[in-house]
Amino acid sequence: MTQPSDALIAIQDQSNRTVSVAEMRAYLDAPMSEFEREQILELARWFRLRYPTGAQRLSYVRRAYARWSER
Amino acid sequence: MKDTSFDEVAFFRAIAASGARALLIGRRALVLLGLPVLTADYDFWLHIDDVERFNAVATGFDLAATQPPEEARRRGRYVLENGEHVNVLIARSVPTVGGVIVTFEEVWARRQSASLSDTDAVALPSIPDLNLTKQFAARPKDLEDIRMLQVLARTDEA
Repeated sequence: MTQPSDALIAIQDQSNRTVSVAEMRAYLDAPMSEFEREQILELARWFRLRYPTGAQRLSYVRRAYARWSER
Repeated sequence: MKDTSFDEVAFFRAIAASGARALLIGRRALVLLGLPVLTADYDFWLHIDDVERFNAVATGFDLAATQPPEEARRRGRYVLENGEHVNVLIARSVPTVGGVIVTFEEVWARRQSASLSDTDAVALPSIPDLNLTKQFAARPKDLEDIRMLQVLARTDEA
């Protein structure tokens, strides 16, 4: 197994860190554009229509994660 | 690559049948609500008195606890693993990074049921409570998840 690069470790550290309260508030309180909101809703509509049951949604995510982790 | 033979619907069904007070939290809860986010793990918040009951279910799926129940209770969390990785939070209450104390009993009382099929369902926190659980670790990806959940909640589509 190859060792992760320093850059990859740095990215992992960054994405796994706990943000500060100020960062969290700034992120969550930032206004949401209509575009961002519609993108989220469109994604949810597609997913719910394509995979109407909870079991199908979970199964999709397992397959998607398996594909992603093979890369 | 992860073994895909794990029957997660059967796992959830067995948990529900066991009577263990277990809430699915984390990204798989978002998936059930209709958000296609990637995740490798299962995350549960379990009543501290139901560890043995939950572990008995897990044993039937070849999942083994990393710590004995008493040690897990002392630490407030443990892991079940064997191919799958199941994080189990068993603290009675957990603070968010903002200092809000979130108690299992209150979250359990406000829980919602997410359907898996015509016959099976999973207990999840309400969306506001799910948002709070995302603030326990408050990683950047948790904040993204909260924003998505907020959109679902506001549009009443969840």
